[in-house]
Formats: sequence, C-alpha cells, structure tokens
Amino acid sequence: MTLYGSIFYLLSATVLAATVLAITRRHAVHAVIYLILSFFGTALLFYLLGAPFLAVLEVIIYAGAIMVLFLFIIMMLRVTPSARTWGAALRQWLPAIVLGTISFSIAAAMVFADPRTQAPLKAVRAGPMELGRFLFQRYWFPVEIASFLLLIALVGALYLGKREGKSGNGQNKEAS
Amino acid sequence: MKTVLFFLIFLPLLGAFLQAVAGSRLPRRAVETIACLTVFGSLCMAILAFLSARQEGQTVILFRWFGVDDLSASMSVYYDPLSAIMALMVTFVSFLIHLYSVSFMREDEGYVRFFCYLNLFVFAMLVVTLADNLLFLYLGWEGVGFCSYALIGFWYSDEVKAAAGRKAFVLTRIGDVALGIAIGFFFIIFSNLSISSINGQATSLSSSMATALGFLLLWAAVGKSAQLPLTVWLPDAMAGPTPVSALIHAATMVTAGIYLLMRFFPVLALSPPSLLAIATVGAFTAFFAACAALAQKDIKRILAYSTISQVSYMFLGVGAGDITGGMFHLLSHAFFKALLFLAAGCVIQAFHDEHDIFRMGDLRRRLPAVFWLFLAGALSLGAVPPFGGFFSKDRILLAVFSHPEPFYRFLWAMAVVTAFLTPLYAFRLFFVVFLQRHSHEEGHVEQDRGVLPVPRLMVWVLWPLAILSLLVGLLNFPGMFSGEEWLAQFLALVPGNTSPFPVSPGLERAMQIGSGLSSIVLMVLAYFLFRPQNLLGRPSPGTLWQSLDELFFVGFYLDRLYQVGFVRPYREVARFLWEEIDEEGVDRGFDRAGELFPIFSKGLQLWASGRLSFYLKMILLGFTAILSALAIGWYFQSA
Amino acid sequence: MIVPYSHLLLLAVILFGLGAACAVVRRNLIMILIGVEVMLNAAGLAFVGASLRWQQLDGQVFVLFIMAVAAAEVAVGLALIVFLQRRTGSVDANRYNLLKG
Repeated sequence: MTLYGSIFYLLSATVLAATVLAITRRHAVHAVIYLILSFFGTALLFYLLGAPFLAVLEVIIYAGAIMVLFLFIIMMLRVTPSARTWGAALRQWLPAIVLGTISFSIAAAMVFADPRTQAPLKAVRAGPMELGRFLFQRYWFPVEIASFLLLIALVGALYLGKREGKSGNGQNKEAS
Repeated sequence: MKTVLFFLIFLPLLGAFLQAVAGSRLPRRAVETIACLTVFGSLCMAILAFLSARQEGQTVILFRWFGVDDLSASMSVYYDPLSAIMALMVTFVSFLIHLYSVSFMREDEGYVRFFCYLNLFVFAMLVVTLADNLLFLYLGWEGVGFCSYALIGFWYSDEVKAAAGRKAFVLTRIGDVALGIAIGFFFIIFSNLSISSINGQATSLSSSMATALGFLLLWAAVGKSAQLPLTVWLPDAMAGPTPVSALIHAATMVTAGIYLLMRFFPVLALSPPSLLAIATVGAFTAFFAACAALAQKDIKRILAYSTISQVSYMFLGVGAGDITGGMFHLLSHAFFKALLFLAAGCVIQAFHDEHDIFRMGDLRRRLPAVFWLFLAGALSLGAVPPFGGFFSKDRILLAVFSHPEPFYRFLWAMAVVTAFLTPLYAFRLFFVVFLQRHSHEEGHVEQDRGVLPVPRLMVWVLWPLAILSLLVGLLNFPGMFSGEEWLAQFLALVPGNTSPFPVSPGLERAMQIGSGLSSIVLMVLAYFLFRPQNLLGRPSPGTLWQSLDELFFVGFYLDRLYQVGFVRPYREVARFLWEEIDEEGVDRGFDRAGELFPIFSKGLQLWASGRLSFYLKMILLGFTAILSALAIGWYFQSA
Repeated sequence: MIVPYSHLLLLAVILFGLGAACAVVRRNLIMILIGVEVMLNAAGLAFVGASLRWQQLDGQVFVLFIMAVAAAEVAVGLALIVFLQRRTGSVDANRYNLLKG
C-alpha cells in the first residue's frame, strides 16, 4: 500500500460515510451539510487522480453554488423535517436496499471478471493549461452548447419563479 | 330408340325444371297442364319403346356424365322386358295420379311446389327403372328418397308432418348406405359399373361374395320398401297428401327396392343364403304388417300397413326364385293399391279431411261411384277369385311351397296365415267405411257437417285403375285354366329369370281352390264381424282381443323400440354436446377468456398509481433489470 | 501507482447506488434532487478515473460538462419545486398523483 493508495482509501471512506449520513438525515439542511462534506472529499479525490482544475471546480460549482442554492430554497420553503417511525422506515428502505444490493453485486462481478480493470492508475497530473488547451481545441463546440444550455436554464428558472399577479403584466410585455 | 328413351326419362325433368323456374309466374292451369303433359309424353314414349323393342335387352348410352380412369359414369339405359313393363306401369299410374292431383290439390296454395316435386319424382323413378350405370341408378335412388321426403313433409308448417318426412328420409338413408357399399364392391370386383355387364359376368363371383352383395342389396331394398326392421317410416308417411301416398307409397318408390333385387337376380341366384334371407324378411314382414293393419283406425294407415304386407309378398316371391311372380304381384298391387289410396282420398275429402274410419259411414247412398270402385280394390286386395290379386298371390304361394328347401314350408305357412288376415282387414276397412250407419254414436261427421261432393275428375281417374286391377289376372292366367301365361313368356329372357320349380297340376289346383275358398269365407266373416249393428269394431276392454288389438295398433311396439333405443340416446348425446360442450364449454370459455382482459388491465392499473415515489422505484427496478440482462449477455459471450 | 482501476470503479458504483437509493426512498422532492446530485457526482468520479487510466484528457472534459449540466438542471428543478410549493403547498412526492389511473 503506497502513500497515494492509503490516501485514496481514506478519502473514499470519508466520502462514503458522508454520503450515507447525508442520505439518512431527517432534516434537509443536515443532509445538505453532510453532502458538502462529501463533495469536499470528492474534490480531494479529483486532485489525487490528477485533475486539479476539476477539483477546484468541484468545490466552487458543486459544493459552492449548487449546495448553497439548495440551502436557499430549503430555507425559503420552510421544509419541515419528516416524521419517521421505525417500522415505516424499514418498509420504505427495503426495495432500495434489495435492488441496490443486486445491482452492486452484478456490477462488482462485471468489474472483477474483466482483467483489464486491474490496470494500475499511474499518478499523473494534468495542469489547467493542458486541460484548457485540450478543451478549446477539441471540444469548443460543446462548450458553446453548454453556455447556451445555461442561458436556457436561467430563463426557465426566472420564468418559473415569477409570482402570479405581478407577473401578468411582465409576461404580456415579454410575449409581445 | 335412343331419342325415345331420352324423352321418356327427361320429359318429367323438363316439367319440374319449368315449374321450378317459372311456375309462380304462370297461371294455375298452365302449371297443371305442363305437369300432366310431360308425364303423358313419357307415357307415350314408354308405349313407343315397348312396341319397337326387341325381345332381349339392349343397352343404350344417352350421354357421358364423367369418367376417371376406369370409373365411368354415363347416363346409360338398359331396356329389357323387365324395365319395359316397369316403365309402362310407372308412367301410366303417374299420369293418372297427376290428373287426380289437379283436382285433389285444387284448394292448396303450394301447387307449384307440389307439381314440381311430383314431376321430379317421376323422373327419378324412371331413372331407377331404366338405369344401366350404377351411379346413374344411385342418382335416381337418392332422387326418389329426396322427393319422397319433400312430398311427405309437403305441409311442413305442421311439425308432425315435417317430422314424418324427416323420419322417412333418415330411415331410407340407412338402406342407401348399403347400396353405396354394394356399388363400391361391384366396382372393385368388376371394374365396371354397368348392370348389364355385371349380370353377364355374374357367374364369376364366388359364393361368399355373392352372399355379401346379396345381403347389402337386401338391406338397401329393405330401407326403400319399408320391410322389417325399417318399416316404421311408412305408416307415418301418410302425413303427406293422398296422391303422394298413392304414387310413392303404393305403386312406385316402395317397389323400387324389390325392383332392384329383380334387376340383380343373376347375382342373387348364386347365393341361396341371401335368397333365403329375402324370403324370410318377406314372410315375417307380411305377417307383422297384416296384424298391424287389422287394428288401425286411420284409413290411410290401414292402407300403409297393407302396402308393407303386399310388398313383402313380392320379396317372398323373389326369395323363392320367381321373378315373374314378383313382377306379376307388383303390377297388380300397383293398380289396386293406387286405386284404394285414391278412393280413400275421395272419401277423406268428402268427410272434411277426416281420417278416422269409425267416424265415417253410410257412403253407399251418398257416393255410389266411390263405393263400387273401392269395392273393386278391396276384392283385388283380398285375393278374391277371379280378380287380379288372387292370381298373383297364388302364384307366389305356389312358388314358395314348391321350393326344395324345407325352411320354405314354414315361410309358406306364415304367408298363408297372412293371406287369411288380408281379406279380413281389407273388408273390415270396406265395411266400416262404407256401410256403417250410426244413428246414436256421437261425433259422427255426417250429423255434424254433412258430406261434401267429390269432384268428378277424381272419380273418373279411378275407373281405369279399377278395370285394370280386376282384370290384371289375365296377364298371367295359369295354364291349367287354359290361359296363356303371357307375362311369364314376356319375361322369360330377363337375365336370371329361371322357370319356377315344377309342380304337379293336382297340387296347383288344390292350392288355388283352397286359397280362393278361404278368401271368400273370410270376406263373409269380416262382414259379420264388422257390420254396422255389430260393435266388434270397438273391442270391449279386458278381453284377449282387446290386448291383441292394442299390440297390433302400435305395430308391435317397433316404433317405440326405435324411439327408446336410437332416437332418445341420439337426442341425449346431441343435447349434451349442445348444452354442455357447446354452450358451457365453448361459449362460456370464450366469455371467460374475454373476461381475462379486464382482469389483466386492472392488474396493470396498479402500475399506474400516479405516485412519484412508486415511479422512481420502478425506474430503479428497470435499471437493475437492464444491468442484469447486460451481465448475462456478457457472461454468455465470454464463456 | 495509486490503486487498481477496479477499486475506483467500485467506489463510483457504490456512490451511484447510494444516490439512487436516496432518490427512490425519500419522499421530499428536495431530497430526491439531492440524490440525483449524488449520482451525477459519482459518474464524474468514474470519468476522472477513466481519464487517468487511459491517460487521455477527454474524461476530464466530460466531467466539466457534467458539472455544467448539473448546475442547469438544479436551477430549473429547484425553480419547479418552488412553483409547486406555491401551487399546492406541499413538497411531498406522494401528494402529486394526478396521473393516477
């Protein structure tokens, strides 16, 4: 077990634990906090796997923007924690546990049955400049599309978020 | 000759066709004229053919029907003395009956259908008479059966009458199966379907084969001629109009069976067992039918049982080896039975369609012509000398008695007993219908409604028949009375007709005197038993006579036996198949299968619960399923 | 050499399963969306691992796009949840069963 390997296992344990906790919380806010922790761990994993730029992006976009947005909405909507009894909890979780176990075992069998997956992961780093050059040389068009997508999402979120009554005049103006 | 024979057979068919196609549009007189004219044309053709024919038979091919390899079915005709005489009789009697029907059916609305079927029947019967090719014969045979069904059930709106027609058809069909099988056998053995050539080669048959064929032909004849055990359709067939009963069930169709046996006599002669069987059937049926006729109350049923009995005599004659005797009796029976039926039709119409003889009476004053005509028929039927029936019946009795086989003596004894019963029932019928004078019986028709006059045409037609039935004995006057045996000489060259066994003249004379005397004695006895003052027509309850009367009346329960033994089980099976299997099983099965669909869709409805969490679970399930499918596929690929 | 590639794949699979369980089990709409986020993240992890395995940068580029799409999707999804809350006053998934039948 090399140094990098042990770091990897530690980080993956952290991520797993945080995700499990995030899933099982009753308060939505608690779940979001744990999930942020999970994303931090994932970012570190990205760095370990040779993608520093993506690690930073993970923290900024995922843990930063998206989870903060979640928090805003949770607080705006005043989501109350769900009441849960023990019997009901088991019945609720049972299908997911069963199906999840089945899927996991199948996937594990597939992964370990193929000898090509045993290949070692070398520790290499791809700097931001390489990534940027690669991105805009080969994938410039999807970048444009992605920006377009973001624009559409913006317009959609704006429209959906408008209140009734006040939005009537605004809508008419925009439509004409 | 070919043209004459062609027109002889096909003129009535033309008449039937015209009526079927255009009958409803033509005026009534035109339809009747076409019907009678075509049969008259056939009669003229029959006379022409008779006069211009050679003594030995000739085969004439009218036209080819179809032919496959060896099997050829051509409409060919074998015209020999036997068929010449038969054709003459058929056309003559049919013509008279057509004239009679014009008057008898004068108030019926379905006259087009009636005359069409009647003409069709004459065509089919002529085909049976003259056919040489076996398939052509089968065509006529089936045609006769079909027309009989159609005419018996002519008034089909009455369920009873329609059922009688069906019964006749089904029972004769049972016999027709045997004929079909026999035709198959003939073809296999001889590779040829021509009657004349089969008769010519008959000696090449083995004795057992001839016996088998003989029994098959006997069964076919039993069906058509209503002998035991297939007698039960003929009494019920009286549901049809009286001219139909006269034509079909007295003169022609019931004689088709015995005619078939006469045609194939060269084959039958090779097999003494089958001849014995024919004679036995004849003797027993004669006795059975005569007993039953003694107890009937319906005028037509008496005549029906009498027909069965007299046709049995013809069977007896052929079984004893005497074709001439059988033919002789066939001719005389045709005349006097047709006469009796037609006269009975006059009486029925006079009494407002009444059939019960105990409700008739006193017709000597009111219908004198019919009285004398009916008397002529009764005299001939009862074999009172010197009238027609006496000579023919006597010849048959002589032939049976003189047969070398000892069993034939027993059959002769039965025939003699029947010969005693015959004048008894014949004159019972005559005296009760015509002489009885009720003044104190209730229900007598004369007091209620009076007697209708009978149209002249119906009576006029009966005179030729009466004269013929009285004088037909002259056809074959026995030699000992210094007469010429014309019929025997005429039929001498018919294939297979052997001369009867020689008898001593003394025996012959003794028998004739004996039978003649007994007939007269029985006629007188019948008068004393059944005359008006004597109420022996209705036997008093509790006596032996009364229980016998009941037994005879239901025909020895033969009909009941068939009902219980065959008809009821068949109906049960049919009902079971219908109700249990068809309705319950098939119909309900389909219904239930159809009900599965709503159940299925209700089950599917659970899937569309509308709840988001459920849908998400289902997505996960689908994902797992796809994953496992991929895994299995990948596993099998790499393994 | 860090770890064999299969270990990373297994980690991604487990994370994906956890995200799927969260999306399936929880009745709150927001928790369902969180489950979706977890799943997307797991997929990104797998992509990065693949990119390192084959020494090509395409995997990392794809993770970039995944993040962009996740962001857009969350924005619209949360806007929808807000809208629904205003319409029916509840964010319980079982409340919306108009598609029943």
